[in-house]
Amino acid sequence: MTAPTRILVAALALLLGGFAARAAAQDVPTANPTPADVEAGKQIFEQRCSVCHGLDGGGAMGPNIQGIPMRIGAPIVANTIKNGVTGSMPAFAGQITDAQIQQVIAYLLTLTRKDTATVTGDPAKGKLVYDSAGCASCHIVAGEGGDSGPELTKVGQLRGPGYLKTTLLYPGSDLPQQRSFLESGGMLDYMHIHVVTRFGQAFDGTRVAEDSFHIVIQDVNGNFHSFRKLDLKELAKQPGKSVMPSFKDKLSAAQIDDLVAYLASLKGAQ
Amino acid sequence: MKTIRRAAALAALLLATPAYFAAQNVPYDRILHARSEPKNWLTYGGSYTSQQYSPLKQINASNIAQLKVAWIYQPRQPVANLESSPIVADGVMYITEPPSTVTALDVRTGLKLWSWSATLPEHVVSIGLYATSRGVAVLGDTVYVGTADAHLVALDAKNGAVRWNVHVADNAMGYAMTGPPLALKDKIIMGVGGSEAAVRGFLDAYDAKTGKRLWRFWTTPRPGEPGAETWGPGAYESAGATTWNNGSYDPDLNLVYWGTGNPAPDFNDDERPGDNLYTCSVVALDADTGKLKWYFQFSPHENHDWDSDEPAVLFNATIAGKPRKLMGFANRNGFYYVLDRTNGKFITAQPFVKQTWAKGLDANGRPIPAPNQEPTLGAGTLVYPSITGGVDWTSPSYSPDTGLFYVSAHETGAYFIKGTGKIEPGPPKGIVGGGGIRALVGEQSYGAIRALEGTTGKRVWEFKLLSPAWVPVLSTAGGLVFSGSDEGNFFALDAATGKPLWEFFMGHSARSNPISYEVDGKQYIFITAGNVYLAFTLP
Repeated sequence: MTAPTRILVAALALLLGGFAARAAAQDVPTANPTPADVEAGKQIFEQRCSVCHGLDGGGAMGPNIQGIPMRIGAPIVANTIKNGVTGSMPAFAGQITDAQIQQVIAYLLTLTRKDTATVTGDPAKGKLVYDSAGCASCHIVAGEGGDSGPELTKVGQLRGPGYLKTTLLYPGSDLPQQRSFLESGGMLDYMHIHVVTRFGQAFDGTRVAEDSFHIVIQDVNGNFHSFRKLDLKELAKQPGKSVMPSFKDKLSAAQIDDLVAYLASLKGAQ
Repeated sequence: MKTIRRAAALAALLLATPAYFAAQNVPYDRILHARSEPKNWLTYGGSYTSQQYSPLKQINASNIAQLKVAWIYQPRQPVANLESSPIVADGVMYITEPPSTVTALDVRTGLKLWSWSATLPEHVVSIGLYATSRGVAVLGDTVYVGTADAHLVALDAKNGAVRWNVHVADNAMGYAMTGPPLALKDKIIMGVGGSEAAVRGFLDAYDAKTGKRLWRFWTTPRPGEPGAETWGPGAYESAGATTWNNGSYDPDLNLVYWGTGNPAPDFNDDERPGDNLYTCSVVALDADTGKLKWYFQFSPHENHDWDSDEPAVLFNATIAGKPRKLMGFANRNGFYYVLDRTNGKFITAQPFVKQTWAKGLDANGRPIPAPNQEPTLGAGTLVYPSITGGVDWTSPSYSPDTGLFYVSAHETGAYFIKGTGKIEPGPPKGIVGGGGIRALVGEQSYGAIRALEGTTGKRVWEFKLLSPAWVPVLSTAGGLVFSGSDEGNFFALDAATGKPLWEFFMGHSARSNPISYEVDGKQYIFITAGNVYLAFTLP
């Protein structure tokens, strides 16, 4: 190993070590907030954040930040509040304290969708259903599985049992908001797309990316297809449809509940 | 041999240099006749009319397909969304880098000639805005810029040395500067931001040579002044009506036209009964005295954060057989207005996006409010357009060739919610919004470049965009309209039909004025995207 290579490897190890540490920190909100903290966070949020991020955190001139500490990590959110984003978001260092920032983070975590359903099934049995029903051919859990569907390693942290059940019964019926536009509305995740090229060839799949001139979809086999919109004879967005099959008639009610219990138990690396 | 060749190249460069970096001198007379030297781009909107129009036509429908990136400049500090629009004069481009840096670039290569940065306090107060910078003004041999902490600074155009630095307003109270100054005659006109910090707005004029303040127009009247009756007791002092973008100028009428911002608090009007003059208006001021000649208020007693800070577009056209001096204004409230710019009289208006807040306008252009469209407690009220309106501050374009007004329109609504709106005295503790909005969910919003008949607002064509875009528009004598999408597409449309002719994915939304200039006989198109400044030209 030459000296420069060794240095590179050392640097990489350092970098990766840093990432691992950060990834671990991400999953743990840093404070143990009391209801008073959440209320204080709400006050600060409404005073300083809501004009740009919407009163419910769902986005206005700035992006949707509901539950964002869960998605990108509380330390990154705290850092962004402190230092701002040059040319985009003001820095709040010197205006609010670190403790107040933690209160805002605690409040942001309460802004995720309310899912009042409870887990009734057996997660151990649900794991067996997961393995036998073919879920792993499209979904990854802890590094294992196919990748044409969304990864489920942390799905129990991101989605409630009610949402998971609805998706198993009626896939595509309730798509999560992927991102907000600057003012309002936005794009839904996992939108089902049907296109017909000008040569009459038809494709179906899940939207991966879209801009005003192009769209990329992923078919049920995991293949990407990229299209120039001007070249398409037909482009249909089909909310309510999904490349995922419904398990309504494939599994019993008890099996569905067990599967929901298993999915709800998936909360990231143990 | 190699040495000789290098010496020859150096000699050629030296020979080229004097013509290329011609004495940096842009007297008022040149800006006044900016249209007659289309190689340069001498003021924010291309000329005092703010038409965002270039008479260059080398790039046109026949060759646009070949347009390629010529160079890219990246700022010294990464920036999320550049909004900096350039000035181009005699081979040099002057840009800003947020928060408060001015940089001079070689227009051929994008190489940096010099850079100057303001010394900002550790904590700059930026309430209801972010510390962006939309550009500079150039007059004579001096470059002028407003800073994030509300200083107006004059720099030597040759090297960035500070000539003077004036403290315009108290940043601790929430005053800040994001807009470019406007240079005219021997004056620098400069506005301020801070409506969400409940500051009182004003527009200033400074002596270009010395920095001495020549006049100040307060955008809300004091008790005893005309218009004071449109406010609740004392409310004018923390009223908003800020002037955070660029204005326009008619040299024949000697009038400066400037848009004003929303009243404070935005969504709670309990303490500010009345029309709240001169919020959400365009004011016409005598350029020499700052005296109000006329005003037109687009949204009296405004409650949805619909500032009117977009630059007013000036153009002349014939209406009913009579040549008229006009102003076109695509307002954030969703209506496109045509005014007589000599006296501010309303001529006509049409919604250019879906709007639900007005049943229509009366003969004077005053809106007839629709019922139940004010922000309410709890779940709020669904109103179209959304908080950022049919269009926000991003410049539209007017082409004298087509007579069309091009605007990047937002088709979207929002739930407006009323909250508590008490304004505390002293430095602001946070945004004085008095409520907020809740976004629509799902895929209900979209954007479009719309071409409106300049004299009527009638829609001639549209080009739909996936999402509402905050991208200004440029039209050219080459029959092209340039703008961008929020996703990061930069594109050219046929100015007559809206047909897409060229597209380039920049990876991030543009937020600055697309502009055009010429050097070495080649036309360039310039824009920013996210963190980069890009110049395009033909091979």
